[in-house]
Amino acid sequence: MAQDAWWAVARSEEVTSAKPINVDIGDQPVVLWRDQHGAAHALEDRCPHRRAPLSLGCVLGNGMIQCGYHGWTFDGETGHLKNIPNLKSDAKFPPIYRATPFGVAESAGFVRVCLNAKATAPVATNENLPLSGTVNVALDHDQYIAALFDDPALVLAMRGVRFTPYLTTELIVEQGLLVMERSCQWAGPHWPAPFSSDFPISLRIATDPLTGESELSLRDDMLRPVLTARIAPVPAARGVTQVRWRARLAPQRSGLMARAMGTGTPFTLRSAIDGAALRVLKPSASIHAAALRAELTARAQQSSAA
Amino acid sequence: MLDVTHPSSSDDHGDAIPSDPREFAAKVNAWVPHDIVLKDAWFPLAHSFAVTAKPVRRAVYSQPYFLWREHGVALASEFHPAAGLIGAKSTFSDAAGRYPVIEKYGYVWGWFGNPANAAPEHVPSLPYLPEEGGLPLHMLGTVRFDCTAPLSLENLIDLTHADFLHADVVGDEIMDKETVEVFHDSETITMVRTCVNKSVAPIMKWFGGVKSDVQQVRQVIRIYLRSHAAIAYGRFSPGDNVQLFHPCVPETRDRTRLDYAMNTTNVKKTNLFRYLMPKASYKVSRQDSTMTSPQSPRYMHPEKRKDLHSPLDEAGQKYRVLMLALAERQARGDYAYRDNVSADCSDIIGYQKP
Ligand code: FES
Ligand SMILES: [Fe+2]
Repeated sequence: MAQDAWWAVARSEEVTSAKPINVDIGDQPVVLWRDQHGAAHALEDRCPHRRAPLSLGCVLGNGMIQCGYHGWTFDGETGHLKNIPNLKSDAKFPPIYRATPFGVAESAGFVRVCLNAKATAPVATNENLPLSGTVNVALDHDQYIAALFDDPALVLAMRGVRFTPYLTTELIVEQGLLVMERSCQWAGPHWPAPFSSDFPISLRIATDPLTGESELSLRDDMLRPVLTARIAPVPAARGVTQVRWRARLAPQRSGLMARAMGTGTPFTLRSAIDGAALRVLKPSASIHAAALRAELTARAQQSSAA
Repeated sequence: MLDVTHPSSSDDHGDAIPSDPREFAAKVNAWVPHDIVLKDAWFPLAHSFAVTAKPVRRAVYSQPYFLWREHGVALASEFHPAAGLIGAKSTFSDAAGRYPVIEKYGYVWGWFGNPANAAPEHVPSLPYLPEEGGLPLHMLGTVRFDCTAPLSLENLIDLTHADFLHADVVGDEIMDKETVEVFHDSETITMVRTCVNKSVAPIMKWFGGVKSDVQQVRQVIRIYLRSHAAIAYGRFSPGDNVQLFHPCVPETRDRTRLDYAMNTTNVKKTNLFRYLMPKASYKVSRQDSTMTSPQSPRYMHPEKRKDLHSPLDEAGQKYRVLMLALAERQARGDYAYRDNVSADCSDIIGYQKP
């Protein structure tokens, strides 16, 4: 698990000061909550006293988190122990008395956590994606992203959209992201994809090579946006991938099918993957992705060595 | 404060708790409760009423114990009596596959260890349970914990947890003063917690007829280390005393069975508390489970990071060290009891027989 990666472990609305929540980054459990000023905090979800999950505790009026087991109370920013209520003492605790803090950055409806508390926060954006959801998929993170690259239909659905096996751009590296563009069709009677000369829509996927966080843009053949989505797969415990997503339909859409996306659910992530289809899915883009990732890592190592 | 001097270790082997604080801390932090399997102990495997002509199955560290009665006498065997001796037999039972059994305090106790070492004087002293049993059924019950038994006992002996986890049953942490005293010998640890002007336990307020807002509380937890069995004795004023026997039978290294006895015969028959308090165990044990079940896997392997401790944790820390000391002695082949667990402990826990 890369120490400096920022993982979108929650949607903003999931983090409140009513009750702490638990998420994980790989096998690292994390507790998240919001203080009285609205700032999100992340600590290791393990009380340093007797290892109970802090997420079973509560958020106090002063914004600190209190363990539900013996009441030890921690500051969200630094993780420092601030109070043991039963001690009835104002004495300060030595600095080793703390829970492990993580870096937190919130922007555009996502709360991102970095296991390195000192890492520089990613550049904030003010993208407004009103639709959102969370799914837990019983498929590991690498395989999840490989499936997204090789056949998006296995992991997501866009209303009325059929993904074809044909790419207009195979995976390339663009500004540090893995980018590909896939031809799509509208559902309905027309020539099957292998016999179609042109396609009315395409899906561009731009993926962070480390976290797999991806921006999806569905555009029509005039390159006008139809739907934009951001999906954030995070490796969770037991090989589960927790995926948060946000999306927005373009307000002006031309064409009957594009306009019809506004009725019902325009975008969803599947919570279950069809194993029979997945097993026989032939790898294509995912093979390139592995090669590009290796190249990027080698380049990063070279530049850090230089 | 205890009004007795605690009996000192009855031998010249010295204290199991090192006086050097660093040595003590090293032992506290070497705590991997799943690795501790103590032998030569009586375990309260079943309430007496549960053992009848039809065999019931129990376990201690996965070792099977079939319990049944013949002519009223409780028996325990590695094998189901209908199946007879089949397969390999352990060294824990005699040639016929039978374990040593004792019936006392309303429990059928099975011996776990070398049968030759089984002796009645190793049954823990439980002053407020009638030796011949016979408590009404509504004072008895079974609850289970999804954790290793020592974590359940560590939970019990640190009562500050009750103020947070069981606040809705026994009251919160609001009080004027709290003191914790700890006494031990090689086989037991006793913790006495005294709370001055503690907010009244809701269960006593609603059902126990306690009208005041605060009460004086003196709680005693006494653990018989090898048998993983605890006395939880609470004196409340105003209020009725709580007399709980809290055995934690390690059915496996990661699951615990608790056949409890909450003797409320001291409470007036017209007081609802007499009938409700024993049932509170169902609620309280689930509350404990919310913490001890996620804790348990985190204590299965040695951890590089040390647990942090507060001055209120003295009892829990000493419990760890005493358990380790027994385990170390057993690893050296020394299974002897250096202190007598069956000697009446009424004075130690501050209990006066009616
Ligand atoms: S485990 Fe958190 S306060 Fe004890
Ligand atoms: Fe408890």
